[in-house]
Amino acid sequence: MAPEEMGKVTQRLRLWFAISSVLFVVVLAISPVKDLRHEWKQYKRAYVRYAESRPDTKRLLADYNPDIDQVWIPEMNVVDRCTTCHQGISKNSLADASVPQPFRAHPPIPHSIVNWGCVICHRGQGPATEVAEAHTTTLAWEQPMLPARFIQGPCGSCHLADRPETPKLNRGRALIDRLHCTGCHRLQNIDRPAMLGPDLSNVGTKVSRAWIYKWLKEPRTIVDADGNTVTNGYLTEEEPRMPFFKLSEDDLRALSGYLSTLRSHPMESSSINAAVLAKWAKNPETVSQGETRFRQMFCSTCHSLAVTRAGETKLIGGNIGPELTKVGSKVNPEWLVGWLRNPAGYLPHTRMPRYGWTDEDLYKVTRYIREQMVDPDLLKGVPALEQASPAEIKRGRELFLEKGCSSCHVIEGVPPQKDFGPDLSALGAKNVSQLDFGQSKIPRTLVSYIQAKLTDPSSVNPSARMPKFNFAAGDLDAITTALLSMTGPPATSALQHQVVPRDTPTFTAAGAFGEVYTRYRCYVCHKFNGYGGDLAPDLSYEGSRAQRAWLISFLKKPQTLRPTLVLRMPEFNMSDKEAATVADYLKMVLQHPAVNPDEANARASTPQLAALGKQLYEVKYQCQSCHTIGSGGGYVGPNLNNAGNWLTPAWMEAWLKNPQALVPGTIEPRRAFTPQEIQALTAYLMTLRHSGPAAAAGRGAQ
Amino acid sequence: MNARLALVMACLFALTATSACRKKSAAPPDPLRRAYDVETDWNDPQKMIPLNYQEAQGKRLFYADCVWCHADSTPAGPSNRSNVTPAPPLMNDGATLNGESDEYLRNIIMLGGSAMGKSAMMPPYGQTIGEKEANQLIAYIRAIAQPPYQPSAKPQSGYPAKQ
Repeated sequence: MAPEEMGKVTQRLRLWFAISSVLFVVVLAISPVKDLRHEWKQYKRAYVRYAESRPDTKRLLADYNPDIDQVWIPEMNVVDRCTTCHQGISKNSLADASVPQPFRAHPPIPHSIVNWGCVICHRGQGPATEVAEAHTTTLAWEQPMLPARFIQGPCGSCHLADRPETPKLNRGRALIDRLHCTGCHRLQNIDRPAMLGPDLSNVGTKVSRAWIYKWLKEPRTIVDADGNTVTNGYLTEEEPRMPFFKLSEDDLRALSGYLSTLRSHPMESSSINAAVLAKWAKNPETVSQGETRFRQMFCSTCHSLAVTRAGETKLIGGNIGPELTKVGSKVNPEWLVGWLRNPAGYLPHTRMPRYGWTDEDLYKVTRYIREQMVDPDLLKGVPALEQASPAEIKRGRELFLEKGCSSCHVIEGVPPQKDFGPDLSALGAKNVSQLDFGQSKIPRTLVSYIQAKLTDPSSVNPSARMPKFNFAAGDLDAITTALLSMTGPPATSALQHQVVPRDTPTFTAAGAFGEVYTRYRCYVCHKFNGYGGDLAPDLSYEGSRAQRAWLISFLKKPQTLRPTLVLRMPEFNMSDKEAATVADYLKMVLQHPAVNPDEANARASTPQLAALGKQLYEVKYQCQSCHTIGSGGGYVGPNLNNAGNWLTPAWMEAWLKNPQALVPGTIEPRRAFTPQEIQALTAYLMTLRHSGPAAAAGRGAQ
Repeated sequence: MNARLALVMACLFALTATSACRKKSAAPPDPLRRAYDVETDWNDPQKMIPLNYQEAQGKRLFYADCVWCHADSTPAGPSNRSNVTPAPPLMNDGATLNGESDEYLRNIIMLGGSAMGKSAMMPPYGQTIGEKEANQLIAYIRAIAQPPYQPSAKPQSGYPAKQ
């Protein structure tokens, strides 16, 4: 090789060397530059710049750290780096809406963010260090953040007991319970109740085949002014619990045929003298007297009736029992008499009490129901249905099992199907890859999956067996929230300690009281030691509160103590013996330990003390803002006109000392009364008796 | 020639490698859907007011304890407001309540009307609810006020950013 040629090569080599050196440096620089440009580092720097633009720079940067910030909760398996970017999350001075995100402080919540981090409530990827990976689903990270409107869902993963702070979650849990989702699905912390849908063993004695056909086709009862059935959701709890099943004409015929043949035992026949019956039938007032009786019995406390006013159909009444607007066109007359006489004879688990109707009352009320609560068009559109053929009955029975009817309804001889639908007790913790979206076009997220399933199950899976419910938008979100809270059993035993369990109170009433308690279904409306309904006052301490004679007279003829109350205690026509049994039991057993009757009862009352109490009541504390005495006063609290006959002095004293200790959550605020003021107020209240103010004053003086 | 090409290639490579894919931020979501709870504007049933956690707890307390006298209709029927003299202010009455400081509201809730030189018909709640609940109630009162509540010029804890 010639030297000049050599020089050429060297020159070219030099050039190449220079280029590759530059390239090498550039490639080497990529990594540090990339590191410097990390999203989280940019937020770190932006935060410093922002803090420096404010007067409280020093405080904002006091715990500044240029590296990744992290909340680590080993016992909950949580690594949470959200605070790397959300650096002002717990700085009070950054609460204002003008502070740019991601630096704004979190609005006040009950848990400390420093201790609990963010992902326990908001979900998302705690360990991720990029905005997209932390917040949304990517190929590698599957838990997106929950939309803010479901934020109460994660509360329920640890707080299995209902908390007043989470109304949406509680509503969702209540709906899941009310709609009997547990009939088919296994769910976390919601037990299967004793009775789901009605027992159908004897349904052939109650309704006709045509009615069953109609009900299976369109399980709705209320019709608006234009004749449309109302299907606007559970917002007002107007919808029946029975969902829509997509049944073909043949299915409807077969199922209605099968069900109409179910007559496991005949209804008790009424044995009223024909001559007496004829006499009652002649009475032109029968129907109107029946209506009066129906109203007197406060059937509307549990049952609602559709009332049309100014073209708007509205349901008025309670929702413990079914809506009854057209029940006269639904049930067989003999069944109705037998049912009203003894509901448990038809449905052992029913919540309907057994009233002490006289035969004449029963006759009048059933006449009223059959003549006034009717709709001649109820069965319009139902084809003529003959006696069911054996083939239809066989097919109907098969369908009953295929469609999962036996998950909610009992028929003697047909085995119940538990866990007919999939187990949902850990649905809230599912990753997107674990869900079967089928051919549907919905967004691939857990929330949209749950909502699509709830709105129309067949939209996700055309062959789904799940029936269709109609939810109002708010309820759809509430149920979604409750399902999201079900994340299965805690992953670690340490986590188990964080869980606040749901308590399941029970109350068993034995002996003579037990019989009365069961007959009148007291627990449907009243609570006893935590068990029972919440429509009516909690009776756990009723024995300390009320006087025995008052209890008996109230049970015989309930009077409302609060003038604004709409739903009232029915008149059961209790016998004297039953009323005495209840009163004695309440006085003996349902006592509050803090109420000491002997001490207060023995205390002497003087007219001066009562006069002082009156003065305190009317002037110093102005109790009349909420309570009525005489004809004046407020109606937030109970009417006190008969307080001296109603309440025990011991209860009054304990109540005035601390109402919340006796009834947690009561509206009456706790006051700082002195012991002498409490005695004076009690003395005054004990003088208030129904027999007239003059006589009461005289008695109070004794 | 070749060298220049290589240089350009290298620069391009470096550029694509370093520039992280940055997505533009989405439009801010509807505050009502993000809210912890909502309350209907008392004067305009069509309008909904978003509430945060604090305000939502205040709403719950309001409907448990205060609604009977401080609203014209209650969930359980007619209001007790007409039975009370002087008539208590409606809780959304911004014209009356916006002028009162948080501290004044906290005192009248906790100590009652008579302690503040007002009607004894307003009972004290200091032994029934805590400071935390009182603050939640005040947050709710501020949220539903009509005309809307504007925090006073003197900031209580916030530090406005330098412009």
